[in-house]
Amino acid sequence: MSTVSPNLSSRTPLSERLDLIVSPIFAVILGLIGTAVWLYSDIDSITEDILAPEKLQRQLGETLVLGFSSSILVILVAIPLGIVVTRKGFPRLKNFLVDTLGLAQALPAYGLIVIFFSFMGAGITTVIFALATFSLLPVLRNTIVGLEQVDKSVIDAGRGMGYTSRQILMKIELPLSVEVIIAGIRTAIVINVGMSALAFLVGGGGLGETINSGLKLDRGPAILIGAVMVAILALVFDFLSALAQKYLKPKGL
Amino acid sequence: MDFLLSLLEFAFGRQEQVLEALAQHAGYVVSVLVTAGVFAIVTGIVTRRNQLARELALSIASVFLTIPSLALFVIFIPLVGLGFAPSFIALFLYSLLPILRNTITGLDGIDPGVLESAKGMGLSPLQVLLRVELPLAWPVILAGIRVSSMLIVGIAAIATLVAGGGLGDFIKSGLARLPLPNSLEAIWLGTILCLLLALVIDLILQAARLATISKGIR
Repeated sequence: MSTVSPNLSSRTPLSERLDLIVSPIFAVILGLIGTAVWLYSDIDSITEDILAPEKLQRQLGETLVLGFSSSILVILVAIPLGIVVTRKGFPRLKNFLVDTLGLAQALPAYGLIVIFFSFMGAGITTVIFALATFSLLPVLRNTIVGLEQVDKSVIDAGRGMGYTSRQILMKIELPLSVEVIIAGIRTAIVINVGMSALAFLVGGGGLGETINSGLKLDRGPAILIGAVMVAILALVFDFLSALAQKYLKPKGL
Repeated sequence: MDFLLSLLEFAFGRQEQVLEALAQHAGYVVSVLVTAGVFAIVTGIVTRRNQLARELALSIASVFLTIPSLALFVIFIPLVGLGFAPSFIALFLYSLLPILRNTITGLDGIDPGVLESAKGMGLSPLQVLLRVELPLAWPVILAGIRVSSMLIVGIAAIATLVAGGGLGDFIKSGLARLPLPNSLEAIWLGTILCLLLALVIDLILQAARLATISKGIR
């Protein structure tokens, strides 16, 4: 959830570079802590059972499926929605959305997943829809903010060159706001991968199961190793999205 | 409509429990905002002259926000046990970035001419900081505190998973009892109360904004 409100002015070259350095360092430190715990703490048969490789592999797969599907769903819904509400004719809807999105951050993901569960029953689809709903906000918000911050005179220039509205959108507005939109998608991906750790609550699997078993059976090492894996996974996805953010932005900017 | 009625009935039938959970939840928000606010503002002030230190502090604070909430809540359990402590630490780490970033942005945005004239008037660096810089940056800092507060209200619902109490208790107990009577009510009550609490905190912060922003820049 790294960007709550996009802050463009502060993205200096140094901060972009640190962006790509600090999270790998954290991931490595966490990895070392996890390894140290695995090697040097009391690992009994119950802990070994919780951390059985085939279980972890399955949970990792589930986490990836949850993270990917919900992120794709969010992108397919939020970006078109953001484009529509920033067109002329919807100023009220747009202002309403921008106002409520701030408060909606206080919506607990935990409650949302459980509410979706009460309607849709157990399983992976439930979690995908709940995660997508939760991470809709940053993408929608950044799409609106990104399109709004495009200099109006550039749009006028496009119109003067005889561009149609569609051409203005595709050739001017979207390329100029792609960095902000990707920042929102990055936030959504990190949220989705992270919150899929809660999927175990409603029978959706995922790495949260390891943490949960550790909590239930009171096995500290299992809790810690589970948490470390969840955290590293989120850091890896944040890093990959930061790379995408760096290389996908138009050359002219 | 029926559901709304039974939701209200459920809430008013166990006022004590509701108030206790609300108090715990609000307790997290207040204690975290105060401590993390002081820590982040001081960090912002200390690092503002050094670009590397400043960007490094921002990067580290943003890594904390990247770590999934369940992981951050449970990762400290082997060190500090269950309950309030691991939840407080996790929420503290989460709330740093918005406040730190806004402190830095706010201090950065001050007109250098104003600082020059303050210096020219014979104010010491500490006086410049306390009487000119912080008051001018305060509205931006407060906006950061507001973002943090919204964030924490939502995330604090996870505290229940590490026996830390709060409004998440209702969600957890509702989920455990589903589909028995009153389970849906409990789940919705926990979620809605989070939003209401956020709304109240937002109003309080807006009032604080009016009360604490110095007259000259209102």
